[in-house]
Amino acid sequence: MNRYEARFTALRQAGRKAFIPFTILGFPDRARCLRGIEALLAGGAAALELGIAFSDPLADGAVIQQATHEVLAAGFRVRDALALVRDIRALDANLPIGLLVYHNIVAARGPERFFDDVKAAGADGVLIADLPPETAAEVAEAAKAAEVAPIFMVSPLTGEDRLRQIGALAEGFLYVVSRLGITGSDTNFDEQLRATLARTRRLSRLPLCVGFGVSTPEAARQMIALGADGVVTGSRIIEIIREAGDNFPTAVQSFCAAMQRAVDEPAAQAV
Amino acid sequence: MQSLGYFGPFGGVYAPETLMPALEELEAAFLAAQMDSTFQDDLQRLSAEFSGRPTPLFHAQNLSRELGVEVYCKREDLLHGGAHKTNNALGQALLAKRMGKLRLIAETGAGQHGVATAMAGALLGLSVEVYMGEVDMARQQPNVFRMQLLGAKVHPVKTGGRTLKDAINAALRDWMTNVRTTHYVLGTAAGPHPFPTMVKYFQRIIGDEARAQILKKLNQLPSKVVACVGGGSNAIGIFTAFLDDADVELIGVEPGGQGLDTAAHGAVLARGTVGTLHGMRSYVLQDEDGQIHETHSISAGLDYPSVGPEHAYLKSIGRVRYESATDEEAIAAFHRLSRCEGIIPALEPAHAIAYVLRMAQTWPRGTVVLLNLCGRGDKDLQTVLEYTR
Repeated sequence: MNRYEARFTALRQAGRKAFIPFTILGFPDRARCLRGIEALLAGGAAALELGIAFSDPLADGAVIQQATHEVLAAGFRVRDALALVRDIRALDANLPIGLLVYHNIVAARGPERFFDDVKAAGADGVLIADLPPETAAEVAEAAKAAEVAPIFMVSPLTGEDRLRQIGALAEGFLYVVSRLGITGSDTNFDEQLRATLARTRRLSRLPLCVGFGVSTPEAARQMIALGADGVVTGSRIIEIIREAGDNFPTAVQSFCAAMQRAVDEPAAQAV
Repeated sequence: MQSLGYFGPFGGVYAPETLMPALEELEAAFLAAQMDSTFQDDLQRLSAEFSGRPTPLFHAQNLSRELGVEVYCKREDLLHGGAHKTNNALGQALLAKRMGKLRLIAETGAGQHGVATAMAGALLGLSVEVYMGEVDMARQQPNVFRMQLLGAKVHPVKTGGRTLKDAINAALRDWMTNVRTTHYVLGTAAGPHPFPTMVKYFQRIIGDEARAQILKKLNQLPSKVVACVGGGSNAIGIFTAFLDDADVELIGVEPGGQGLDTAAHGAVLARGTVGTLHGMRSYVLQDEDGQIHETHSISAGLDYPSVGPEHAYLKSIGRVRYESATDEEAIAAFHRLSRCEGIIPALEPAHAIAYVLRMAQTWPRGTVVLLNLCGRGDKDLQTVLEYTR
């Protein structure tokens, strides 16, 4: 059983849901990134989603773009990101760790070497933001050969045929985007998202975690009420790290704890 | 999708999940439009009456005399809007209208594609918003004003190198967000399928016309066809008609910037390696981690770190040869054609002219060269003035 299965099974048995914080590896620098992640774990994060900076992050909004740009400008390389993942793994042996990358980062190393390096660093899954199932077969196979879960996104416009295609390749969990567009703070919870979750649930056994615009405990509660197994929050965490100055570990930990509490509250109370 | 649009190992669909339904919808509409006689009639009528097709083929006799070779220019600079970009923008705008979209977005480098999209939007009653790098807005100011006059909103892009690459990122982000109402009029034969194939479809009229025109005039095909290559839409537009003519040498000219031995160039096919950017596999300028480099060219329209996937393929099979010309050579060619023929070329095709000027003495006397004069140079006067100072 991989760490995703173990963690989601344990949560389900306890009647709990997953809060999955996201940040960019190396932001704002190596040491503070690690301290921020320690704070997220102290706040009770169920899993982590970590971005490897890419020069052209076209699925990302302004907040993550800016963080990415700063990380690259500081000379933080892919090997530095993977070394940092190794240190994060050392903090917790059972925590599911997913990486979020763009295809050119994988292609530059070659899929086999990339996934071997990811596995050696201790990560459990990789989501390639610009790799749809149509073109993912070879890469997904390389990931599975290295025992890394290929994670895929599902959008409100993903139809049933493509959901089946995604279901045939995906492991770990499905990242359901709450709305069209890019990462960032605009929240959406509507009947269409409820329908997306229901449709996806019918066609896949994987846990469904909602991301894009899940920036407050209230939004997190709503997503759970709509049928999600967990939520992913990224841009808001990067904003908190920026805004809180030297106090950022405390701020990050209390945000994470509030989000985890929100997703764990019974859905009935939320609506 | 019906196809993934590969050219050998290049092209394909490397796009976020939120874009996939839009690409599927676009591919289906594009395939249907090819069979739809109303669409074809509208495109042909507007290409003639609005855009001014066919464009002439001009025998540059003064230059030919000086060089000892016969230079024929395909006058896309005379197309409405001042560049070949109108062919594609009009075609895609008609398609968007047919799909029931209300809003067009576009990226632009030199501004010509933005202007072309703004013209087509005004013509067809679609609102237009254009993403343009801040650096490009400064160096192509007249085109910014033209877009605004035509009713388009121009968004400055302030990320990355603030040029064409960043404008494409911004336009793709907008499209992902507003996909239901919006069509993204991508300006070059690049990006995820179906764009490279679709842009070629709308641009191949250049070569189809030029081939017929030169056959009629000379009763023979040219020995060489020369075009500048940034993303590569004018080049694929003129090359396509000649791909099966094995005796016709096809030459693409990339921006050599300050020289290929410096970091300041955009010669992707000469110096790049295979990678993924903007939804496609093609050549890119990148480091060993796969981070994309900033590029440089005096011509905003060629300032792009990747290239259309079909060019990558045509290079790999040896059908097209890709050369380069520097900023300095392009500026010299800009002046030479202006004085010698009374035609001020855009800095983009000035690269193709520069290559002909450099190589003509090595070619047999009387060699027939077809050159794609893909745009006029009014937009570049400020850049050339500043370079000369």
